[in-house]
Amino acid sequence: MGKITYKRLKGSQNMRQRLLLATLKSTPVLIEDIHADDTLPGLRPHEISLLRLFEKLTDDCLIEINETGTKLKYKPGIIVGGSHLVHDCGVSRAIGYFLEPLILLGLFARKTLVIILKGITNDSKDPSVDTFRSTTFPLLKRFGVPSEGLKLEIKSRGVSPHGGGEVHLAIPTVQHLTATMWTDEGMVKRIRGEAFTTRVSVQLGNEMIYAARGIFNRLLPDVYIASDYRKRSEAGNSSGYGISLVAETTSGCCISADTTVSYPRGDEEEDIEGEEKKELIPAADVGEKLASVLLEEIEKGGVVDSTHQGLLFLLCALCVNDVSKVRVGKLSPYGIETLREIRDFLDVQFVIKPDPSTGTVILKCWGSGMKNLSRKTT
Amino acid sequence: MAMDSGADGQSHKAHRSRHSGASAKKKTKAKNKDQNSDQKQQNPKAFAFRSNAKAKRLQSRAVEKEQRRLHLPVIDRSYGELPPFVVVVQGPPQVGKSLLIKTLVKHYTKHNLPDVRGPITIVSGKQRRLQFVECPNDINGMIDAAKFADLALLLIDGSYGFEMETFEFLNILQVHGFPKVMGVLTHLDKFKDVKKLKKTKQRLKHRFWTEIYDGAKLFYLSGLIHGKYPKREVHNLARFISVMKFPPLSWRTSHPYLLVDRFEDVTPPERVQMNSKCDRNVTLYGYLRGCNLKKGTKVHIAGVGDFSLAGVTGLSDPCPLPSAAKKKGLRDKEKLFYAPMSGLGDLLYDKDAVYININDQFVQYSKVDEMGGTTNKENKRDVGEDLVKSLQAVKSPIDEKLEKTKISLFSHNGRKRRKAIFGDGVDHSNLKSTDEENEGDEDDDSDNDNDEGENDRSNEDNESCSGSEFSDGDEEDLKSEEDDRSNEDNESCSGSEFSDGDEEDLKSEEDGMGNISKWRASLVERASKKQNINLMQLVYGKSASTSNTSANEVKDDSENEESDEDEFFKPKGQRAKNSIEGLGGGNINTEDCSKSTKISELKNWKEEEVYESIRDRFVTGDWSKGALRNQMSEAKTEEDDIDGDFEDLETGEKYESHQKDDSSNGGIQKEDDDAIEERRLKKLALRAKFDAHYDGSESPEEETDVQNGGKFHRSQANDSGYYDKLKEEIELQKQINIAELDDLDETTRLEIEGFRTGMYLRLEVHDVPFEMIEYFDPCHPILVGGIGLGEENVGYMQTRLKRHRWHKKVLKTRDPIIVSIGWRRYQTTPVYAIEDQNGRHRMLKYTPEHMHCLAMFWGPLAPPKTGVLAVQNLSNNQAAFRIIATAYVLEFNHAARIVKKIKLVGYPCKIFKKTALIKDMFTSDLEVARFEGAAIRTVSGIRGQVKKAAKEEIGNQPKKKGGQAREGIARCTFEDRILMSDIVFLRAWTQVEVPHFYNALTTSLQPRQKTWQGMKTVAELRREHNLSIPVNKDSLYKPIERKPRKFNPLVIPKALQADLPFESKPKNIPHRKRPLLEDRRAVVMEPHERKVHALVQHLQLIRNDKMKKRKIKEEEKRKEFMLLFNTFS
Repeated sequence: MGKITYKRLKGSQNMRQRLLLATLKSTPVLIEDIHADDTLPGLRPHEISLLRLFEKLTDDCLIEINETGTKLKYKPGIIVGGSHLVHDCGVSRAIGYFLEPLILLGLFARKTLVIILKGITNDSKDPSVDTFRSTTFPLLKRFGVPSEGLKLEIKSRGVSPHGGGEVHLAIPTVQHLTATMWTDEGMVKRIRGEAFTTRVSVQLGNEMIYAARGIFNRLLPDVYIASDYRKRSEAGNSSGYGISLVAETTSGCCISADTTVSYPRGDEEEDIEGEEKKELIPAADVGEKLASVLLEEIEKGGVVDSTHQGLLFLLCALCVNDVSKVRVGKLSPYGIETLREIRDFLDVQFVIKPDPSTGTVILKCWGSGMKNLSRKTT
Repeated sequence: MAMDSGADGQSHKAHRSRHSGASAKKKTKAKNKDQNSDQKQQNPKAFAFRSNAKAKRLQSRAVEKEQRRLHLPVIDRSYGELPPFVVVVQGPPQVGKSLLIKTLVKHYTKHNLPDVRGPITIVSGKQRRLQFVECPNDINGMIDAAKFADLALLLIDGSYGFEMETFEFLNILQVHGFPKVMGVLTHLDKFKDVKKLKKTKQRLKHRFWTEIYDGAKLFYLSGLIHGKYPKREVHNLARFISVMKFPPLSWRTSHPYLLVDRFEDVTPPERVQMNSKCDRNVTLYGYLRGCNLKKGTKVHIAGVGDFSLAGVTGLSDPCPLPSAAKKKGLRDKEKLFYAPMSGLGDLLYDKDAVYININDQFVQYSKVDEMGGTTNKENKRDVGEDLVKSLQAVKSPIDEKLEKTKISLFSHNGRKRRKAIFGDGVDHSNLKSTDEENEGDEDDDSDNDNDEGENDRSNEDNESCSGSEFSDGDEEDLKSEEDDRSNEDNESCSGSEFSDGDEEDLKSEEDGMGNISKWRASLVERASKKQNINLMQLVYGKSASTSNTSANEVKDDSENEESDEDEFFKPKGQRAKNSIEGLGGGNINTEDCSKSTKISELKNWKEEEVYESIRDRFVTGDWSKGALRNQMSEAKTEEDDIDGDFEDLETGEKYESHQKDDSSNGGIQKEDDDAIEERRLKKLALRAKFDAHYDGSESPEEETDVQNGGKFHRSQANDSGYYDKLKEEIELQKQINIAELDDLDETTRLEIEGFRTGMYLRLEVHDVPFEMIEYFDPCHPILVGGIGLGEENVGYMQTRLKRHRWHKKVLKTRDPIIVSIGWRRYQTTPVYAIEDQNGRHRMLKYTPEHMHCLAMFWGPLAPPKTGVLAVQNLSNNQAAFRIIATAYVLEFNHAARIVKKIKLVGYPCKIFKKTALIKDMFTSDLEVARFEGAAIRTVSGIRGQVKKAAKEEIGNQPKKKGGQAREGIARCTFEDRILMSDIVFLRAWTQVEVPHFYNALTTSLQPRQKTWQGMKTVAELRREHNLSIPVNKDSLYKPIERKPRKFNPLVIPKALQADLPFESKPKNIPHRKRPLLEDRRAVVMEPHERKVHALVQHLQLIRNDKMKKRKIKEEEKRKEFMLLFNTFS
């Protein structure tokens, strides 16, 4: 027992889930061949930032990275959490990338987690912070997370190249998660959303809203999309615009979609050359496209959208020893990867049963009985 | 009656009621009571309450009592058949433990048990099985027994009284969850005097009650008849055991555990032959208790260590409950009995064979070669035989053992055992004999062995994995199996193939119009169940690999890696093909994105038919259709199979029309179904709850039962709504779980929830130290406990500890103690501490006398709230109480945060006004810098602060004198000027290291009689080496000598003197040589004068006396008054 046996893994794929599950299950992991074949081998900046975040939240964890950064040794500590934490997420990935594991980590921490995250708030790659507020938090409530403690405030927005956004996140701790039977997707009763613009004209936001409404109006009258115009310090360091939409159903499911458009990173000279040389997607197209994406998500069915599948599966697997049953649309690659990681780490398998009449998939699992062990008893 | 009897001519003796004695008293009492109560009930109005306040008080009291009665309901997650309850019989030596077990077994099964070794399982009733275990007499055995006992029978020698063992065991039980306890008094025939007997019973009973609770059951066994306990009393005891309820205990419901009732060594004999001390492979058999056991779980074998399971197999129950036919009592045939370690019981079931036990005297064994003829595989020895032989080897040398070919498991019984081999078992043994790998495979699909011999044989070269899933054996399956085999070398390949197919399915669904024929064909092809497996295969890869996951983590991972590598080193094109949608998992460095980024192929949602297609997903669409969509899927898929409902999904118009009418009636019907289903679940839940309330009282008609339940529930709901709701929720969840799990087929269910409690399991564990085999003793039961989440890690644990009040000494920090936490027992060195007001954990050198304190130690972690028991001395021959402390885990950290006080002492070397330079407190300027701003204090209480290291020029000038500048002199300021004679203290705190030490107790790896010896305490070492305790002379207390202080005479300055008033001025009256005349002269009185003087003196005396008396009297009076006053005020 004195010697630590590491679970050996390969590659940088699913780094977040792996680190998260390793921490929750307190299994030491050894990841090799991280971007070994790339021209720039080794851990990416956001991965390192993620590791730093984990180090911040846990007590006495051990992280060893070899010289080239292709090998990572991670011995998890006890999740402590705590308030007055600040983390700079960097600009290689958005805050959404960090939020996904952070939420689960916070639930099983010793103390309530209150943290300030700085970086890119909206990105086309990761779910935006708006989505977290509108969709992910209601999802957590399904699993017995008290809604009072959950809080995410957007202090300032920052988009892709230079970031500069800031969010304040608070996550309560739980003793354990409760299992849920969640197969009723309901019907979409309202669509809400938020369109934001940073360092660009308000008009762009309105265009997006107008375009999106144009699509929805044929299907549903109850559509309301707010516009969030940010300027100066609240607008971060780069200019861009984006929109996030949520469809709420009669049974309380939230299906979301979001996207962001921003001026990509260019060389300094080119910037001087002229601003209009980078062809951005016009705002109206963005709105229209995203509305279509949302409709597509709705068409796929399931109680969550494809982005939240991974989180949903994780939550189901971390429940008490009861059966959870959820319905999702087509399994997303990320969801499948998550299922595999869950199998490897938690030893929880899902029964996956397609429902051919609706094109959805029903997943059942027997929760792993995870309990918050780091909480102090009095 | 009497008349009649008289008429018959038979005169019966008339009943004579007692006029004195206990029964008479009881009767009269009852009569009186009856009368009284009758009187009371005559006029209920007369006894109604009259006072409003009283009524309120009564009501509130009743409510309070009700609330206090409530406990948080414990969730019982054992859904299967209950495992036998473990009855541990414990007591000091020579008190009659074995005899009690023997008589109980005799009572239940009519078998005579020669001797009690290991657990004995019997069927005691239609619903209940019991497992009797005799508790070994050493403390390790007692601790282990307490961890698996459901009921503890504490045997007490009535003629001797309580012994330490009983109390120790009670304390152990309390720490580890306190199962049910019943005391049994034996040796009561030693009392000749009836009165004394009665007194003793009374005394012992009350002592027993103080230890447990008032009214705890203490049983009396009055003596022996024919060397057995009286039948009647044993019958009563059995009755008590049979009606006992066993509440779930929190540790046990969250951890799987096994009480091993059969234990075998399955090491290949070649290895043992090569090296008799090689690590062994063992199999452990027992009922699974606690919670479900997943295949990947690690286990702790008490007294041996942690192991990962090399294989788990569910076996058929060797001692099954009788069939559920309605009848009263048990038939003799059903009174089963299973005690493999005692060498009793007729049948022994292994995973692929059944052993029949035949009594020696009934069977004439033929010679060895003849035996070989029957089993016909003598040259190729099978594992079963090896197993038997290796077990034999425990007592005999190896070479001897190898020569023996007789099969006898328990040589001491003179019993012989023959292996009865089933049909295809022969083949198995053939296969098995060669290598271990095959064996491992067979572990996994052994369930199918019996019905699937053929499959197995065909698959023997492959990983015979898929057999279990495709057991139906229709053509399709075979085909797929073939596919499997062709793709054997490359898992991912087959996976991708499936995925392709599925992709198409899904796509076709999306299109709605696409190649329907294909879609349909595939639907027909796949039954819903199979499809589900396919999707699961798609996600999880081959099922075989998953079922194998259990074994060795590292090994498993390496396997996975290999497969990964297989995929990894592939031509690039192929890889790309495989990793469609990343399902093949080709690239190990894919970006970690939860959002699927491809938005390129979007439909044009402006077109009407496109957006109309999802109209029903909106509230503006058809609600019934929407509802239909949200039905539970199972019912639907079942119907799909039967009715061919999937045809709905055919081309456009057809789909529309068909769907609509279908939805209009079908939807409603399905809704109804759904509602009915829900109602059914609720009813079940209610019924279960009702049963739980009324202790399984089974009324014959279900309907009434449910109704009763409902009524009961309603009335109860008014009283305690929340509690009731909570209970109902739990019950509902349970029913949902059962319903959902029952849906699955057996193999998937096993993978999903693991092995259920109550199953008879065979665990295979590899690389166990050989000592476990060598020193195996059936009288010491083996406990195998599953290790929960994070419990295999090592770290610091903080516990709340209290020294046991019967332990004579306080405990010293860093003295090694042996703790028992969870399943484990290990030695560790705790550091005691106490939490100060400000949350600081201050180290204590010794535990407080009568108080809780914190104890921090290093060791394998246990979850918070786990009970901890500490012992120091394991030896049996000590009279004192062995349990030194009890505790429970508060939290665990990786870092220890205990501090102790440190006092830095310094002396002033130069004093300015309120500043002083302090020397000797610090050794360097760096240290001073560390403590800048720290508070300091002189002995006289003057407070100050450390400022900075003293500069050279101020007071620290040895350089001028040619020396080195002294370091570590600090400039400090005080609130007042200090003296050179003052001593300055700086009080600080320093971190205390908790030693990184723990030593698992390996008591099963040594002879049982030997006392385990771990780390010794310092005191023990000193005693051994005859060393005295080192003494620091400075620390000794010396009598404090305080000289009377001499003060100088007060001198008043001249100027001040001049100003003083005359009265206060010191007057310099010269000293007289001779006293004044008044003082010197003598008084001579006249006789009369003397008389008068005497009289006056007398009078004065009298008066004084009077006054004194009066004063005393007044004082008394005053006191009395004050007393009165005090009482009234």
